[in-house]
Amino acid sequence: MQKPFNIITAPVPPLRAESRHQPETDAGGHIQGVEASSGGLIRATLGAAAAGGAILLFFWLPAEYGIDPTRVGRLLGLTEMGQIKQQLYAEADAEDAALAAAPTALAVAPPPASDPNIAIRLDAIESQVTAIAAVVGADRIMAEPAAQAPVEAPAVSNEAAPAVAPVAQVEPTGPVWRDEVSYTLASAEGIEVKLVMAEGGVAEFEWMASGGGLNFETHGDGGGNQTSYDTGRGVPEQSGTLTAAFTGNHGWFWRNRTSEPVTFTLRTRGDYSEMKLP
Amino acid sequence: MPNLFAFNVGVELGQLLALAAILMVMIRWRATPSFARQAYAANVLMMTAGFALMGFQIAGLIVT
Repeated sequence: MQKPFNIITAPVPPLRAESRHQPETDAGGHIQGVEASSGGLIRATLGAAAAGGAILLFFWLPAEYGIDPTRVGRLLGLTEMGQIKQQLYAEADAEDAALAAAPTALAVAPPPASDPNIAIRLDAIESQVTAIAAVVGADRIMAEPAAQAPVEAPAVSNEAAPAVAPVAQVEPTGPVWRDEVSYTLASAEGIEVKLVMAEGGVAEFEWMASGGGLNFETHGDGGGNQTSYDTGRGVPEQSGTLTAAFTGNHGWFWRNRTSEPVTFTLRTRGDYSEMKLP
Repeated sequence: MPNLFAFNVGVELGQLLALAAILMVMIRWRATPSFARQAYAANVLMMTAGFALMGFQIAGLIVT
């Protein structure tokens, strides 16, 4: 039979805070350092320098500056990251410089800006008329075939309307696009297209790119404001609406990150007074 | 004004708490038999990071 437990005779487990091994301590109870010979220290320092240099050369410089003498960064995809970073910095700098250089341009802007307000409203009315015309036209065609169609066609007319108006009547998807532009971007080339919009204005758009697609950023600026709506990489096409967060220029920046030229087409309509092309 | 005071008291309390936790961990670490070796290694690692950071900054100075 077991003896009853006695706290006095029980074996004492070591306290957790007490080290199993007593480290070498001096008289003051301070821990003695590891024996560091000067030769060992020099070797450790040189080793640290070599390791630091390797990290720098293989990973850090490619990822930050796109500097890649060993091509390791390219294999890991870090060089592209560094190049994009540098490009973005350069673009931001250029934009800042342009903003700093163009306070006079901003001061000159108001005269056209007062006019665009009227133009924007006219455009809104125009697009509404176009929408109504398309709907009404379709209805009338159903009711009395082809009777009102010739009358409707002039009502629809915008820049590109006469040719497209019959198409709009055939497919009842809505009004025609107001602007359509097409560009071919060489490798690494970028382009910016902007719409002059009033706050709250809504523009519909669609764009499609050939090949490997485009990197894009949808953004706006004006009156000291700046915003980014959307970004994407390697996107073949996109459609949707762009709502102006403030009065100014709102649009897209595309860059072709593929090695082949990419052709894209942008179509827009809605509440904007003007399309700014590069 | 009370907000400012309370904010700073909070900051100090947070620092005390963090330091207490760090001190506990450090004391436990110092009591381990391999502490001296690990401390040496940690110093070498910090030197490595320092060299890399120095190179990064110098490269940045040259590039821009």
